[in-house]
Amino acid sequence: MAELGFMALLLGFALSAYSAVGAIVGERKGKAELVVSARRALYMTTLTVTVASVALIYAFVQNDLSIAYVANHSNTLMDRAFVWVAFYAGNEGSLLYILLTLSIISALAIWFAPKRLARSMPWTIAILAINQLFYFGVLTFVASPFELLDTVPVDGRGINPLLTHPGMFSHPPLLMGGLIAITIPFAFVSGALIAGSYGDDWIDVARVSAILGWGVLGAGMLLGAWWAYTILGWGGYWAWDPIENVALMPWLVMTAFIHSIMVQKRRGMFRMWNVALLNTGFVLAQLGMFINRGGPVVSVHSFAASALGVIFLTFMLASLVFAFALFLWRMPQLKSDRAMESFMSREASFLVNNFLFLAVMAVTLWGVLFPLFSDLARDVSVSVSAPYFDRVNGPVLLGIVVMMGIGPLLPWRKASARSLKQWFIWPTVIGVITITVLVALGVQRPVAIFAFGVVAFVATSILEEWWRGTAARYHAGDNWAIAWWRLVNGNRPRHGGYIVHISILMLGLGIIGTNFYQQRTDGALALGESLVIDNYRIEYVANGDSSRPDRIAKWAEMTVYSIDPDDYSQEIQLSNAQGSSGFTLRDSQTRPNDELIDRIETWHGFYLDFNMASVRSGIRSTPVEDLYVIPRDFLSDGRISLAVSINPLAWWLWASGPFFIIGTMVAVWPQVAVERKPARKERLGSSEGES
Amino acid sequence: MASRIPFALIGPRALPAGATVVFFAVLITVLLLSSVSCVREEDLSLEQRAHQLAGELMCPVCDGQTIDGSSAQISQDMRAKVRERLDAGDTNAEIKDYFVVRYGSEILAAPERSGFNLLAWIVPVVIVIGGFGIALITIKNMRKSATQMPPTSAELASASESEDDLTDYLAQVDRDLGIAPKTKTQSKPNASDEAKS
Repeated sequence: MAELGFMALLLGFALSAYSAVGAIVGERKGKAELVVSARRALYMTTLTVTVASVALIYAFVQNDLSIAYVANHSNTLMDRAFVWVAFYAGNEGSLLYILLTLSIISALAIWFAPKRLARSMPWTIAILAINQLFYFGVLTFVASPFELLDTVPVDGRGINPLLTHPGMFSHPPLLMGGLIAITIPFAFVSGALIAGSYGDDWIDVARVSAILGWGVLGAGMLLGAWWAYTILGWGGYWAWDPIENVALMPWLVMTAFIHSIMVQKRRGMFRMWNVALLNTGFVLAQLGMFINRGGPVVSVHSFAASALGVIFLTFMLASLVFAFALFLWRMPQLKSDRAMESFMSREASFLVNNFLFLAVMAVTLWGVLFPLFSDLARDVSVSVSAPYFDRVNGPVLLGIVVMMGIGPLLPWRKASARSLKQWFIWPTVIGVITITVLVALGVQRPVAIFAFGVVAFVATSILEEWWRGTAARYHAGDNWAIAWWRLVNGNRPRHGGYIVHISILMLGLGIIGTNFYQQRTDGALALGESLVIDNYRIEYVANGDSSRPDRIAKWAEMTVYSIDPDDYSQEIQLSNAQGSSGFTLRDSQTRPNDELIDRIETWHGFYLDFNMASVRSGIRSTPVEDLYVIPRDFLSDGRISLAVSINPLAWWLWASGPFFIIGTMVAVWPQVAVERKPARKERLGSSEGES
Repeated sequence: MASRIPFALIGPRALPAGATVVFFAVLITVLLLSSVSCVREEDLSLEQRAHQLAGELMCPVCDGQTIDGSSAQISQDMRAKVRERLDAGDTNAEIKDYFVVRYGSEILAAPERSGFNLLAWIVPVVIVIGGFGIALITIKNMRKSATQMPPTSAELASASESEDDLTDYLAQVDRDLGIAPKTKTQSKPNASDEAKS
């Protein structure tokens, strides 16, 4: 198997080199058949990577410990269901996975590329082939997953225990896939620039491929957050860790791109800007690959440091130079067709939105690089982590949400005072009412209250537009559901975007709730004892052992009661006096108004080989708030040490996921010609905001 | 008028009354929020402060985790230490100093706002304000170079997608025929434009 995998990679290396050279020479010498041959060679690389991947997976299934990579990431105890996770659990396998994704999406992109791009296709093929060549080179000569061990070990090291979670089946592949997918729009646009096709032929293909990659990357990050929340056992979901940041940065830039590409599509403006955004996104994706592989910053995610760092740094710098040299060379040909007409136009609001996304990106990049900078400049180590990023990025992210409400309400070109009043009045009223009600209810934290107002403002603006469009169709005779669906169908990029915006608002609710209103308390309980926080009493009722040869593990079961604080007024007074948010009850008597509402199970394991603890928190999730119980440790006196938190609105973080995915799909779903008619009606009807 | 005077950057030309208000509302909100987003120490219970501090101290043996989020033994000890110092009446600053003395400045999850580290905090502000300025100047310049008359709101009201598509199409035809207007002429300010807007 190892030999087969290695040979497949070597063959792929040769094929991708041939494809790159063939495409370029064929184009320069005008030999069409050479270009066709180069294109077919690029299809064939997909086959070779697939063979190599299947070989590696087969080796895992067989637990072939003669292969170093398998021995390092699997053992006889590993549940075979995790073979797929083990496949990309380390450096070499994850690179093979990335190459597999790249080769498949390259083949699809070339296959489905529209005919009108024929002039630039040779260059697009060459760029894709060179990207593949790089990974083939690394996998063949530097970090081969098929390296053999001199002596076959008795058993393997096993899979990293943190990875044994259902979320790991999708989070890493989506994240890596999303990052590498930026290569596709980049290859199309760079190809067009080299070929000198300055028209906008590439807009649709770049837009669709960019949105797909962006959606996959976004879903990957959300799943990562979910995994962190349910398994890492620290009660959080986003730590502004360097690796999270390097995935976030290209995502932000691509978010800016998929917005401003619409301006180019509709108005023929922002050409230069769009190319620059795409280049930046591609280079940042390479930065992500570099930092992930033995880069210079400390992270929970880093793979073992290796010689790969230098290689990936070189490739990143090469991408940077190539992308921007090409940009500067062709810049004179990328002027806009039209000028901006007004500040109060959708074009202008897209530009402000772009600026805000880039500002978050630049600030995040600065935060990631500052420790390096400090080390180099004055030899002092500093840490830059969540408290910093929350503070500097929080306000700008809120600004983005504000723009999300304003931008779509503005028409193209120029808004009139009348239309502004007409479209802003309800969102503003609802936003102000929300703030007033929250203040009247005595809710704390002014910033959060303002943020809730903003969310209400944006939500109203979307719902109002849907309401008007749907109502117009309803009166024309459709029923409500069909009327809404026709509205969405009539302009999918726009309404798909709204669905994504709604998912962002849901995410916003979760972020505001958990960041501003979380309550926490710690305590150690013996069996039969309870911890009380807010309106919950958590009683420790049972435990048991679930150790295996590779781990010491225990589970603990708790019952959750909702309580009436009046029953506990004495204890609450006492704990307030001590400055605690909760308290421990030594007796297990239920009080009159206690009501059993749930049972939760937590689990704590320690992996000897990895010297690593892994926990499963007990979570009771409702749309209002999550009760989140982290088993910190089983103490030697038999008690369990718990950290309990109440995370308001956390449920919405995960509820946003389906909306994000559906919205993305709607936005890229191919527009069929037949669909044009309702689109016309809608424009005339209500959605342009000028009716 | 009031909205026009302070913003010489954008120029006195015909901004709709709400325009500057809206855009600057965003900017000012962002800046204000960044200055008021913290809660005063004395408003929190000791346990709340303990959690807050735990989120601001790095775990010395983990990769990029705070002691709040880590289950390593040293993090548990440090959390206990934080609580002990709080019970003894220390301020947040004193407790952070306590750890900085023992573990060095990298124990802090965010750099201090003094000396060289001030750079970490100033640069983001420069990026945001500078970037915002660039965005506004860009819009202004793009606006200046407008050759087309801005349509009246009545025209806009009747603007349909087909018109829009047609202009795109015609521009494409122009480009394909190689008779696209040179950018030089495009950037010439148009007198009637000024008058109109």
